[in-house]
This record gives sequence, structure tokens and C-alpha cells, in this order.
Amino acid sequence: MEEASKISRYLYTVIVLFLIWLLLTASLDPQELGFGLILSLIVAAFTYEIFSTGGLANLHPKRVAYAIAYVPYFLWAMIMANLDVAYRVLHPKRPIRPGIVRCKTVLNSDVGKLALANSITLTPGTITLDVDGDNYFIHWIWVPDEAMTEKEEEHVKAASEGITVPFEKFLKVIFG
Amino acid sequence: MLKRALAIISLLIIGYWLAQGLAGVPFGQDRMLVGQYYLDHVKEQTGAVNAVTAVVVNYRGFDTLGEVTVLFIASTGVGALLWRKKRERTAKTEGSIVLTTGTRLLAPFIMLFGAYIFIHGHLTPGGGFPGGATIATAFLLLYMAFTVYEIPHKAFEKVEGAVGMSYVLVGLIGLAIGGYFLFDWIWQTWGWGHNNIGRLFSGGFIPVIYTVIGIKVGTELSGIVDNMLKEEVRE
Repeated sequence: MEEASKISRYLYTVIVLFLIWLLLTASLDPQELGFGLILSLIVAAFTYEIFSTGGLANLHPKRVAYAIAYVPYFLWAMIMANLDVAYRVLHPKRPIRPGIVRCKTVLNSDVGKLALANSITLTPGTITLDVDGDNYFIHWIWVPDEAMTEKEEEHVKAASEGITVPFEKFLKVIFG
Repeated sequence: MLKRALAIISLLIIGYWLAQGLAGVPFGQDRMLVGQYYLDHVKEQTGAVNAVTAVVVNYRGFDTLGEVTVLFIASTGVGALLWRKKRERTAKTEGSIVLTTGTRLLAPFIMLFGAYIFIHGHLTPGGGFPGGATIATAFLLLYMAFTVYEIPHKAFEKVEGAVGMSYVLVGLIGLAIGGYFLFDWIWQTWGWGHNNIGRLFSGGFIPVIYTVIGIKVGTELSGIVDNMLKEEVRE
């Protein structure tokens, strides 16, 4: 993703910081709002260069809608994965087959890669060990048969379908 | 072995001695002498809802000025101890993309939250020192995630000195208006914010002083981190 203009990045940082301020104070007192706005302007002036590369384009309605929809989707995936791990722990035979697999991602932006890595880590059973360009190295609690192949492409394809693809549907739209 | 046994025995004796001393203090009973005065008068005398900050900044402002001085000396001392002509960051390993991108996203939030803490010193727990330490955490995070990151030294040192002087200046204005150092002129003479207790623009000069302390502590701790992370390089 190419860089947006400085003004756009600055305004985007101000808006995000001001929203955080609203959540922090949880009050609509005009004094709090006014001071929060001033603080957001100041903090954004110092940090907008590292905070955002996309600028205001991040607030595109489609992206925001996908981001909101992603929350319940991700929570559901997290609950199911937790139950799955609980089942593996409680099962007398303890059916684990751990291994490190390589996945490829279609995401381009750094923030998207961060979100994907965190989504993978927060769903138990999978942990992101390292991200290197397009490659994700992931520790999996139960490596399925499809991924246990000698052929590199098949392995990567099977692993990606099991781990990254379900999240990428959303993250591709949100972060690009 | 003998050394360790002696150390344990002497620690036990000291502990027993301290426990004997504390056994005479009744916990959970009303033993407040001057404390009751603070609790009764804190609102109309200082305008602060948070009694701790009122005591720290208003009733006993000298102590806080002393603490700020101690911190300044600590920062200067670290700078003097580690002073070398040529010092650079020699870290080689850049953090992974997860760490660096996470830091980019978090740093502004941490700074905003630090500012939130010090500006609400008269209303909520916290104040200038926790707020400043929080802001320094953001800079520490930037230092740890990026191998080349450097704080803007010139600006930081100037800001640090300027806010330190403005604390004394606020006190001196009080001396001119009210007759003694650190007199709360905004509250007692101007009466600014009297009908406002509990909202943001109240508390006399507590928010002003805590903003000053927050910025000072933030820049100072960042400077200490910067000094300690750098290593001497030889040409």
C-alpha cells in the first residue's frame, strides 16, 4: 500500500486517538471533549509518522463494516478453538500431533500481517513463531494428514487453508 | 554456609524486632490526627477530589519539588557517569514485523494514556509521576523495537529544563501573590473553577503542576533509557 498524504495520515491519527479518549473518559463533558481534542492533536503531531501509512483511507465504510463484523467472527473462532484444545487436554489418549508448518499469506500491509499473526496466536492450537515476508511459521497442535506431505507446495497450501485463509477473508478487506 | 546462616538469623532478629514495634499500632482504628483535617478541608481549600494529590502538590508541595529534583539529579548522574564522546546504539537485530508494527500502533495510545493520567491527577488515582513513567514506556518500547530509533535529544533536554523551571515559576508566582512559596493562586486568589469541583477544569494549580511533572518525568526517564542503551564505539 502506497503512503497517503501527510495531512491525511495526521487526521487519521487524530481521529483514532480522540475515539480512544472518548472511551477512556466515558464522559461527554465539554471540558473533557475539548481537552481530549487538544491532547489528540498534540500526541498525533508527534506520532502520526509511525502510526499510520494508509491515512484516512482506513476509515472507508466497507473497511469499518468488515472490521466490526470481524469481531464476533473472531470471537467465535476463538471459543471453538478453546473448546478443541480443552477436548485434547481432557481426552485420555491426549491426541496431539505437534509440528511447525509454513503458511503463505495474501496480505500486503504490515498491520494486516500483525493482525493475522495475532489472530492465529489467540486461537489456541496455533502459535505464530515468526513472520518473514509472505511466510508464516506456525506451531500447530494437530497437523492434519494433508499437511504431512513431502511436497512443498501441497504442504503450504494445506496448512494455509487450515490456518490463514479463514481470517484472510476479512483481513484482506480491512487492512489490504 | 556459615555466612548464609548468620544472615538468616540476623534477618529473623530484625524482623521480630520490627514486628514487635508494629504490634503496638492498632490497625483499622481511627488514629488520624492531621489526616482528618485533610479529609475535611481538601475540597474547599484545594478544589481537588483526590485527597492524595492535594496533599502531595498543595499541602506538602515542597516534598514533590524535592522528588522532582531527585529525579533530575538521577538523570543527570546517569548522563555524567556514562558520558563518552562517541556513543551509539550497537544493536543489530531488528524486531520481527509483529513487534515493530505492534509498537508503531501502540506508542501513540500509550502516550495519550500517559497524558490522560497526569491531566486527571486531581480526579483519579495517578498524577504526574505515573503519567510521566507511562509516557517514558512508549519511548522505551520504540527503543526496544527499532535498532536505529533515537529520541530528539536537543528538544528533550530543552523541554526538560523548561518544565522544571516552570514548576518553580508557578511556586514563585504564588510567593508574589499569596505570600509563600507554592501558594495555590489559581484556586485561592482567582477562585477559578470554584463551581466546577469534580470536573476537569478544577483543582487549582494541581493539573498545571502535574502536567509539568508528567512532561518532566517522561522526558527524564526516556533520557535515562537512552543513556543506558548506548555503547561506546571505537573508530
